[in-house]
Amino acid sequence: MTHDLLLALQAAADTSHAYGEFPLLGARQWIWITAEVHLMFAAFVLGVPMFAVVTEAIGIFGHDDRYDRLSKEFTRLLLVAYSATAIWGTMLVFALSTLYPRFWAYLTAIFAPSMWLYAALFLIESFTLYLYYYGWDRWKKGRAKLWHWTLGILLNVWGTIVMFIANSWLTYMMSPPRDITPTTDPTTIKLWHAISNATWMPINVHRLIANVVFGGAIVGAYASYRFLAARTDEERAHYDWMGYVGNFIAMSALIVLPFAGYWLGREIYQYDQSMGITMMGGFMSWLWVIQAFLIAVLFLTGNYYLWIGMGRIPGAERFQPYTKYLLIVLVLGAIVWGTPHTMIADSKELAAMGGSHHPFLGALGVMSAKNTAVNLMILTTFLSFLLYRRANKRPVVPWARTGTLIQAAMFAIAAAIVLFYGIRGYFVEAIVRIGFSVYQVLAVLSCILFVTVIDVLMARGAQSLGTIQWGKMPPRSQYALFILAVTFTWLMGLMGFARSGIRQYWHVWQVMQDTSKYAATPALGYASKMISLCVLIFLSLVAFVFWLGGLAEKSTYVAEKGPGHVGH
Amino acid sequence: MWATNLKIVGIVLGTLAVYTLIANKIPQVQSEVPQTLTLGANVTPEQLVAAGEKVFNGIGGCTTCHGLGTRAPNLLTDEKGTGPIGARCGKREAGKNCKQYLYESLDQPTAYIVAGYQPIMPVMTKQLSPPQIWAVIAFLESQGGTIDVTASDIPATSSTSTTSTTSTGSGGGGGAAFAGGSTDPKAIIQAAGCLVCHKLDGQGQTIAPDLTHVGSRRDAESIRKKILDPMSSIAKGYEKLAGIMPKTFGTMMNASQLEALAQFLAAHK
Repeated sequence: MTHDLLLALQAAADTSHAYGEFPLLGARQWIWITAEVHLMFAAFVLGVPMFAVVTEAIGIFGHDDRYDRLSKEFTRLLLVAYSATAIWGTMLVFALSTLYPRFWAYLTAIFAPSMWLYAALFLIESFTLYLYYYGWDRWKKGRAKLWHWTLGILLNVWGTIVMFIANSWLTYMMSPPRDITPTTDPTTIKLWHAISNATWMPINVHRLIANVVFGGAIVGAYASYRFLAARTDEERAHYDWMGYVGNFIAMSALIVLPFAGYWLGREIYQYDQSMGITMMGGFMSWLWVIQAFLIAVLFLTGNYYLWIGMGRIPGAERFQPYTKYLLIVLVLGAIVWGTPHTMIADSKELAAMGGSHHPFLGALGVMSAKNTAVNLMILTTFLSFLLYRRANKRPVVPWARTGTLIQAAMFAIAAAIVLFYGIRGYFVEAIVRIGFSVYQVLAVLSCILFVTVIDVLMARGAQSLGTIQWGKMPPRSQYALFILAVTFTWLMGLMGFARSGIRQYWHVWQVMQDTSKYAATPALGYASKMISLCVLIFLSLVAFVFWLGGLAEKSTYVAEKGPGHVGH
Repeated sequence: MWATNLKIVGIVLGTLAVYTLIANKIPQVQSEVPQTLTLGANVTPEQLVAAGEKVFNGIGGCTTCHGLGTRAPNLLTDEKGTGPIGARCGKREAGKNCKQYLYESLDQPTAYIVAGYQPIMPVMTKQLSPPQIWAVIAFLESQGGTIDVTASDIPATSSTSTTSTTSTGSGGGGGAAFAGGSTDPKAIIQAAGCLVCHKLDGQGQTIAPDLTHVGSRRDAESIRKKILDPMSSIAKGYEKLAGIMPKTFGTMMNASQLEALAQFLAAHK
């Protein structure tokens, strides 16, 4: 009896110390800000090394120093960004341990060894970065350069493992293995069992791709700022090219991202259908309309940047009349994708609408229509890239005309497959319809792959219609890159809210309930204000990082001109 | 350069403002934490309907199928010209008034299957408390019919409950167990309502696989896994019903009960 009483008292004491409060902002808001800004920096420092190492490889094996310089400039941005990532990560950990101590104790009881490994790897990763950046000029030639490149690969390996570890914690919160119940003692849960939960690998893959997109967009914004601030034509040309590369990387990876998103969504549904329904048809249903709007902005702005860019390519005028048709497809696709499907409505609203779906728009709000729209938008964006790529080339291979016809046929077949399965989807059961999206995706990816291969072969020895006039871009093209960066960042915040919000009032889904005063999941309007605040904080800090990068460059410049002044 | 900087700041702030504004202009829905539902002896029909609507749209999960009008009949507006559920519930089954029919639908959903639909509805009396059940009935009656649910319909012993049966109070504090925590497999089967879908030793329905010889197909480990994660494997011939078995059974049993049930079923060779 005494023992039971003591246990009860202990439980009451535990509960009373389960949550702390943060002055002025509130506990949840502070956690939200620290987690989001930390994640944004983390995405940046994981995404940029991926293409830094790729561009360095192009420089090494293609014997093109421009790529090597570009890679070094990417890496310079990382130095301060790493510190910012660590600082915000530390703030997040302190916030969790002081504001949500019971939940934090629960997580550490399961994941402690992985947290130690995480810290060790972060340390190793940081030192690898220092070696990679500061050794750039020292290990510049021959075999040493290959070793240097290996450091870049290692940087990515450490970073990816670090991300996978952190992902295991947050995915456990979403999808703890089903044998874990509220009564399970966390110290008895096997570490690997908790790590390898249902959504871990889909999140890993999704974040890996998204980080590349995000890194490309931020680098594009950096290049556009340097372009606008450039004083010489050479500088302007360099940053125009850098902006193009950043945008190319971001848009290329963006094309693949929806497929990773589908996989994640499918795993969420398979893990717990009610969670999937909350996400797609419950209180979060409107979120996807906002997401569709944001992605439409990305597609339209990305294509707009390419179309303006064709103005600096001799020979591109051949293709410019087609851009209006591409624009029509993109706008129509965006409208269909943004059409709501299942929405929360009360009985009066349902009665006014005549059912749970709008009599006309309801037909466009279903996945058949949306999948068709997004696949056609992806095909259209790829076509924009292709036209851009071929703008100043005239193929001279004897089979050039046949090759172009085959490419056109591949586009037509892919579009026809997408449309066929889109329409057929209306006449079959849901389980069959879901399978159709795979055929649509395969048709689009196959088209992209084979058309690119044909294009590369056709470009061999192609006649040049003139070199690209790098730097001859109107300022509005650079502002488009800023809009892309802001939109990518905001979208990341929105998707973070979706992923975290579908847990609703659970710290750990159906295992540990949130009993704090912040347990209710806020509506999208409130979330959007928090997201905008986080984006503003992040972009302000990134601007500071860029400014610091510029300072470092200037001091190097002075040192080269007058070594005697170094240190003064 | 200052002009360029200002333009950049303007574009960033403008873009953020547009996204924030749009997100604030759409319907705002907050996901609330389940609240305690108290229905006293003097509860009015309006209070019952209001409580029922919350359960219907929230923890009951009714809109998952009934809201779409494709997986299950549309209850709130119209179903093939027969009007909302309140207007048609009294005419569904001979000898059953609206209240009796709706209760039967929630307690024994397979007793009457509307033509054109699959028997996929779970037993709601196992998932919701009696006050929640009767509040939902009142809400459904209010859709074009007459509300005749009163406080006397609600068992006196359960006039208060939370709106979430999966809620465990404070996190990690332990969940409610079937059959008062009994480890008698038959009591667990009875309390969990397994026989509403499964057949065992000549009793129950055949909507889901017959469990009489389940031990010859699955060992205890496989059965345990299937209860905890019903989607982990789907019996041949039952693919169309995949996802119907509730995933909450694992969280509604304690470890001893789960073990007892798994061993009991595995012994049915």
